[in-house]
Formats: sequence, structure tokens, C-alpha cells
Amino acid sequence: MSANLSPRTFRPYTGEKARIARAYDYLVLVLALFLFIGSFHLHFALTVGDWDFWVDWKDRQWWPLVTPLIGITFPAAVQAVLWTNFRLPLGATLCVACLSIGTWIARVFAYHYWNYFPINMVMPSTMLPSALFLDAVLMLSNSLTITAIFGGSAFALLFYPSNWPIFGMFHLPVEAGNSQLTVADMFGFQYIRTGMPEYLRIIERGTLRTYGQIATPLSAFCSALLCTLMYTLWWHIGKWFATTRYLNRI
Amino acid sequence: MKTTTQNNRGEIFAKTIHFPKVITKQQHNPLNYLLLLGMIFSVYILSMQPVWAHGEKNLEPYVRMRTIQWYDVQWSKQQFNVNDEVSVTGKFHVAEDWPISVPKPDAAFLNISTPGPVLIRTERYLNGKPFMNSVALQPGGDYDFKVVLKGRLPGRYHIHPFFNLLDAGQVMGPGVWLDIAGDAANFTNDIQTIGGKSINMETYGLANGIFWHSFWAFLATAWLLWWVRRPLFIARYRMLHAGLEEELVTPLDRNIGKAILVGIPVLVLVFYTMTVNEYPKAIPLQASLDQILPLSAKVNTGVVEVDTTRAEYRVAERTMTMSLKIKNGSDKPIQIAEFATGGVHFLNKAAPAPKQNDADSVVAAEGLSLDNATPIQPSEQRTVLMTAGDALWESEKLDGLINDPDSRIGGLLFFYDTEGERYVSSVTAAVIPKFN
Ligand SMILES: [Cu+2]
Repeated sequence: MSANLSPRTFRPYTGEKARIARAYDYLVLVLALFLFIGSFHLHFALTVGDWDFWVDWKDRQWWPLVTPLIGITFPAAVQAVLWTNFRLPLGATLCVACLSIGTWIARVFAYHYWNYFPINMVMPSTMLPSALFLDAVLMLSNSLTITAIFGGSAFALLFYPSNWPIFGMFHLPVEAGNSQLTVADMFGFQYIRTGMPEYLRIIERGTLRTYGQIATPLSAFCSALLCTLMYTLWWHIGKWFATTRYLNRI
Repeated sequence: MKTTTQNNRGEIFAKTIHFPKVITKQQHNPLNYLLLLGMIFSVYILSMQPVWAHGEKNLEPYVRMRTIQWYDVQWSKQQFNVNDEVSVTGKFHVAEDWPISVPKPDAAFLNISTPGPVLIRTERYLNGKPFMNSVALQPGGDYDFKVVLKGRLPGRYHIHPFFNLLDAGQVMGPGVWLDIAGDAANFTNDIQTIGGKSINMETYGLANGIFWHSFWAFLATAWLLWWVRRPLFIARYRMLHAGLEEELVTPLDRNIGKAILVGIPVLVLVFYTMTVNEYPKAIPLQASLDQILPLSAKVNTGVVEVDTTRAEYRVAERTMTMSLKIKNGSDKPIQIAEFATGGVHFLNKAAPAPKQNDADSVVAAEGLSLDNATPIQPSEQRTVLMTAGDALWESEKLDGLINDPDSRIGGLLFFYDTEGERYVSSVTAAVIPKFN
């Protein structure tokens, strides 16, 4: 079948052919699901890593900076493939949903059951609202530039507020050892991690700290700018890896 | 960040099982290239994973001998139940002769080696002062510590107090076997917030977190199903290239997209504002570094002075011979009872120390001998040839010292006078190997 059919001569597949095409859809979807659960989650675990693993790493500077920046990589690449070839605006949501599944499995089995940490100490953050927004921007704009600028920025800016309902309560103050700590810090103190001493936490460091109360918005805007660039970069990586020249022969 | 090495194991194993599917599938489709992309990433990342081990002997000997020098480590009990408290106390001397290749202990973390949180740490003190974060230590300083733990998971574990030293590694103290009995289900851990609210740490915020994750997962699933219910890849690809782009994204789809564009930020901001109002007292994570000054000198108090003039390690005999210039400034005769280095204790059988309650340390009971066994008299100055010999030099991997870039030894020397009074001195010297 040629790829240059005109609308008038186009005939959708029917009968057996349609059924096979549908079976193929499901096959690809299931494979993609497993692949993204595996690879995106691994990519995320080894880059964002501790910021997403531990409740006492989720600070107001580095966490909202790093997480969306890494979180937008696979969504951009998959959007590039699914949108340009199929006009399917679900790449980001699919990737981030897979990431969520992967992280939850890891936290429950590897962290909780294997290493005995309470699940609330290792709860993942969510980027699903950001991903839905990103997919919608791409669908409505059909433009890499607009999606990178507006979608990429929103992806970063939505991250912190959408996670505060989950993690805000871990920032209540507690008095311990003659000092004030958050509940999250108490998790870090009480639940012993041999390989992750407190001083390794990269939190509240750097010049952003000097901006005090507006550290988080500043961090988020910084992340928004970087996400715009990261989105564009990974869009091209996705395009580069995905070529449809074989599909033309079907 | 690759700092939590032991915790990544589970994920790594869970992921590798997907590879065969990727490799065996040979259909040509853009998604296959995405599969390939993911696979390359996974392999690349897997190869970077460090391996985690218990770590007692991993560190170079000179780091174990010349950083944190532990002694008098004791556990309040070794058999107890879930929810019972147990404390470990002890002392350590921070070596004056701190290795040049190890950063100064400006950030150190007193930790407990456990296979995960089988115990929780409820209190921790250094020189009697509680501290919650990391601490700066001073070379040459003396400290005592206390860590209070609470049994969480029943089992039998080998547990050590140890120091995480920034950019150096884990310097282990002596280990003991702890037997925790009882039922894990009975474990409780409640703390109070400053606002007076009681919190069950084991479950706090979990249901709330699951709720929010589920809420967004529900919307995301709806969006995915909205698209997946239609014919996907082949059908849409053909239609797109047939110029039927408008049919692929319908006006209804576009309206839903607009609703998302408006609705998601509004929802996020509403939920965010609700949370801010619910927890107005929320504070940022605390990241202070504790500054705790050393005690008045416990080691090298000036009463007994020791100067190490030479140290030789005989490889074949596995003995370290040190020549020590000792001056007894006390008013009673003293004897060397013990030499401790890198977690190994060499005892002088001829001058047994009064009963020590040390945790199961690694001991060479007859490992220490002197060329002159008579006690050193008050104000006498004597040069003593001390020999510490045992296969432990090899089994504890301390003999690797002679191949290290920094082949100096450091340790603590324990003297007792006739009344049982103890004097501790630190010794340090370059080690010269003898291979004959
Ligand atoms: Cu051990």
C-alpha cells in the first residue's frame, strides 16, 4: 500500500485485515508499556534518583528543578514518534503513566518488602497532570515550538504545586534532639539507611537558597526554561530513532 | 545520584527481564526504534551500577587505622523484642595523623550498619549532646557517643556502629549479633509534631498519597483509553498519509484538549491552595551541620607519652614490630595491655587488662609481646620493642597497608597501672615491609 493515497481513493481496512491491524496495535501497546515501565523508570531512578526515592530529599529547590527536567525526556521523544506518524496525542501521558507504574512497583517491592522501608517514606512524586497538559498542548498546537515553550514550561511549573498535596504534610515541624525538623527529616533520621548518610542529601544548597521564600518559584521557572530546551532535544532524539520508512512497505 | 546503591538492586532485576522480548521482536515499526532506544539506555545504565557489600574490610587499611579509632563500644543488650529500646555506647578517637588522601571529617554521619531499617534510630548523642544531622569532627579529638535504637523487625542481625565519612567511606566500629524477637506487626512508632499532632510514622500520609496518585492516574487512564479505543498505528498512519488528518483529531478531541489546558492548571492550583491552607506551618527540610566540640583529652592526656620511632611489618610472620619511646609520667608503674588498630585488638597475655566489656571485637588474645615485660616505673623513660603478631593482619586485610600509597599505621595503645587506671595513647608511624 502506498503512502501517497489521496483522500478519495483511501479505503480503511476491513474484515480480517482490520482485525490484524488491531491485534498489532495491542501488541505494540503492550510491548511499549513494558518497555517504558522498564527503561523510563530506570532512566529516572538513576538520574533523579534520591530526589524521588526519599521523602527527606524532596526539598524546595533541587527536587522541583531536577524532576521535571528528567521527567520530560522520554515524553518528548515518544510524542515525537506518536504525533508525527500517527497524530496520537498521548505520548507524554503514556510515558509518565508507565513511569508511575514502574516506580510504584519498585517502591513497594524493592524498597518496602525487600529493604523494609515504610512506603510513605519512599512515595514517588506524580507528573501526570504535567503530562496531560503537555499532550493537550501538542494536540491543539501541532507545533514543536509551541509545545516546547508552553508545554515544556507548564510541565515544570505544574510539578511542585501538583505534588504539594501529597508531600506538604511531611513538612510539618517536629521537635527532636533540641532542634526543629520536618516529619520528612525524621524519616531520614529514624529509618536507617547505611549507604545514604544525611550529608549526601543535595537539598537547600546553592545560591537559590538566598532567595528564601521565593526559592521554589525561582527553581520552577529555572526548570521551565531548561525543560523547553530539554523537550526540543529529546523530540529530535525521538525523531532520529524513529523512522517510518519500513512502514511504507506495508 | 547513585548513592543508594543497595536499594537499586530490586529495580535492576525487575527491569532486565524485559530485554528478551525487545530483542526477539523483529517487526519493523517506528516503535521498535523506541524499544531499541530504551534498551540502549537500560544497558548503558546497568553497566554503571556499583556493587554493594557489607563493607567492613573494603576500605583501605590506612583509612580504617587512621581516621576513626573506636574503643569501649558496648551494647545495653543483645536479645530483645520488637518495640524494645537498645542502646549502643562507646568512644572514639579521631586520629591526629589523618590520611592526606582522605578529606578532613568536616561532614561525618554516625550510622548503624543494618540490612535496612530493622531497627529505628530514636536518639543519638555525641559527647552527651543530641544531634540529628551530620557533624564536623576534629582530628585529634576525643568523643563519646550513644545511639538509642528500637527493634522493628524480628531476626538475627550483625550490627555495627560506624561512621560515614564524606568522600572516604564507611569506617566500621565493632559488630555484634542482635536477636530481635516478637512480631513485626506490633511495631509502633508515633511522634508528636510541634503543633501537638500525634503521627504514626509507619502509615503517615500514605493513604493521602495513594489518593492523589489515584486521582491523577484516573484522569490519565481516561485520556489514554479515549485514544486507545480507536484503531491506532497502522490505520492512523495510513490515514495521515492519505491526507485525512482532520479525521484523526476530531473537534470533540480538540474540545477535550482545551478542557485539559484550562482544567488541569485550575485543579492543581485549587488542590495546592487547599493544602497550603491545611498545613500553613509547613517548613522547608532542615539541613544543618552540627558542630560538637571534642571532650577534654581522653587519649594522649599527657600523663603517659609515647613516641613511635619505627614500625616494621614482617610479611612472612605476619607481625608488626614497633619501637616505642615511652615516658611514664604517672606515679605508678604501668604496663602495655593492648594495641588496637583497624578494629583488631592485640592483647598482651603477660599483662591482662581488667575486664573489658567491648562488643565482639576481633581479638588476638596472645598477639602482643614486648622485649621487656617489666612494668615501666614512674618517671621512667624506656624504649620498648612491641610485637603485634597474628594471622588477623592478613584475614582482616590490614596487611595491604604496605602496598598502599599511604603506608602509615595508626592505632591506640592501652596502658594500665597497678591500680587498674587506664591510659590511652595514639601511635602512628610509617611501616617498612620485611619480606624475608
Ligand atoms: Cu558485620
